[in-house]
Amino acid sequence: MINLQVKNLNKSFGGQRVLKDVCFDINGPELIGLIGPNGAGKTTLTNILDGALKPNSGTVYLNDERIDQYKPYEIARAGLGRTFQVTRSFRRMTVLENLYVPALAVGNEQDRKIVHDKSMEVLEFLTMDHLCNEHAQALSGGQQKLLELGRLLMLDPDVIILDEPFAGVHPKLMEVIYEYIRRVNDDGKAIVIISHQMDAIFSLAQRLLVLDHGTIIADGPPDEVKKDQVVIEAYLGVDEDEEENDAAASSGA
Amino acid sequence: MRTQVPNILGVMILIFFAAFPFVYSAGNYDYVMHILIIGFFYAIMASSWSMLAGYAGQFSFGHMGFMGIGSYTTALLLHYVHFSPEPTKLCTEFQFGETWMIFVNPIGVTSTSLTQDCLRQAMQIWDGSVAVTDVPVWFGVILGTLLGGLAGFLIGLLVLRLRAAYLALFTLGFAEIIKATISAEIHITRGQAGMETPALFENGVTLFGQVYSRTDKLPPYFVFFFALLFCLAILTWLSRSKFGLFVRALREDQDAAAALGVNTTRYKIMVFVVTTSMAGLAGALQAHYVGIVTPNALFLLQMSLVVAMAVIGGVENFVAAALGAIIIQVLLELLRTQIEIGPIVIDMTVWRLVIFGVLLMVTLRFTSNGLIAPIIDYFYRGHIGKETVAKRAKPTNEAEAN
Repeated sequence: MINLQVKNLNKSFGGQRVLKDVCFDINGPELIGLIGPNGAGKTTLTNILDGALKPNSGTVYLNDERIDQYKPYEIARAGLGRTFQVTRSFRRMTVLENLYVPALAVGNEQDRKIVHDKSMEVLEFLTMDHLCNEHAQALSGGQQKLLELGRLLMLDPDVIILDEPFAGVHPKLMEVIYEYIRRVNDDGKAIVIISHQMDAIFSLAQRLLVLDHGTIIADGPPDEVKKDQVVIEAYLGVDEDEEENDAAASSGA
Repeated sequence: MRTQVPNILGVMILIFFAAFPFVYSAGNYDYVMHILIIGFFYAIMASSWSMLAGYAGQFSFGHMGFMGIGSYTTALLLHYVHFSPEPTKLCTEFQFGETWMIFVNPIGVTSTSLTQDCLRQAMQIWDGSVAVTDVPVWFGVILGTLLGGLAGFLIGLLVLRLRAAYLALFTLGFAEIIKATISAEIHITRGQAGMETPALFENGVTLFGQVYSRTDKLPPYFVFFFALLFCLAILTWLSRSKFGLFVRALREDQDAAAALGVNTTRYKIMVFVVTTSMAGLAGALQAHYVGIVTPNALFLLQMSLVVAMAVIGGVENFVAAALGAIIIQVLLELLRTQIEIGPIVIDMTVWRLVIFGVLLMVTLRFTSNGLIAPIIDYFYRGHIGKETVAKRAKPTNEAEAN
């Protein structure tokens, strides 16, 4: 059973507190949307979860293993993988080599033939098998996003954090990414999606975490979070017509 | 078949260099052999630097420093350590069974109080009755290689968090410190006066029934040739293993590689150890081939030459870098001539470096991966684009057929 426990995470840069007592749990193969305005601390939280940053205080447990002081590669091997907001493929390596890296790094599959076959399966799923020998730098932005997702499939982590997976992606490729997320989630992986594309988040996520000024201000099913007054004020914004009606009603009163 | 072309060419080049000393008869034999030996030396330096900078993206400018460590390790060892069945009672010495390990006292270049070190004094007293044995040259070469690697390990640890220009400046500083230290410690290293070293085959060598003296070029030619092949074999093996894959991922994006489970610290240090060991090996061999080591060999100009050779050959392909080094070395020597155009006489000894500089600039401007690597790439990867298009068209064609 997948279990990620984030307890009282705090992070400051200089005098500025970027994360304030952030707490949440992931139990089982949940599909979670992490949303929040720019500067809310989403990327900092992700960087702490993947080990690129160390928290000032607080703990992170993954499947009962404390990982908040681990190095990034140790966290990847412990079972937490991520993609980056700006795609970070290995540009001068082939698509296949990009997939070989996580497979050989985690050491589950040392046999090159098995790794190759698995990589081709992943590429077929991502509709990129014809590009297997191309250098990653020859791919479009959307294809590079898919390649990053493919690398995660090869890493095979329990918890996957997708940082802006839909940004700048062609609608046709977005369907592939939707399919990817649903299928990987059905395979028993917990997925956290960070995105500003509300339509995508609301159609995919079973649970929403809302981060604002370094604090989790809402945690629950999307329908409930959508109606949360604090979230509306902080992030989703108030409907202008509704606001005018409210103002008219209050002035009439 | 097309992908086999570089392999076939590679075998032909190997056969050419293996046969060259036996078939060359166009005159200036020793000089030509010397040029090729130095070419092999630079090829080891350029190919190992190509693995460090081109494959792993660690732009170190301290490679000559590691070479210097190899050179001076073997020079100092062979100069200061000797073995004797009798104690000198003058030197610092330790007994191992029936053998005494003697450490000669350093007397510098122009000692006013001493004209001979302790061992020479003892040998004068012994008057040939006690045989003094030197450390074997091969042991000095091995130790030079190991200490080059050890220095690479330490520097690798220190530069873990440094990238790009900061790494380059740090390693440049390291090489300069090595050079300055050697220059300053005249008492031990003899400073700019340099330290003499025994030849690779001090007592000559017999190969296939032929006796070669210590000054003959053929034995060192093959020592350097096989050292280069040894280094290229190791680099090839590493580049095709997990190591090669991971260090290239490290070059592309260290953070992304770590996020995918690659222990970037380990591979960054490993690539430093492997490549600096090779620089140490090249330095140790060169010390015994040239017969003297001086800090001048560690000049920044020498490092620039290695970098330029690798860049012109192809920094992301160590075979191309090695070939580039040999070709550039030969071309630089061929250009040591005078060209007469009517009444104008051009001394190419000076202009050759200008030509070399222009070639470097043109290479960097138009083919960032050198002049040789793209040719190799063409044979290995030239068909990939067509294959991709064919694969993409295949499902469409199948759908149309259905």
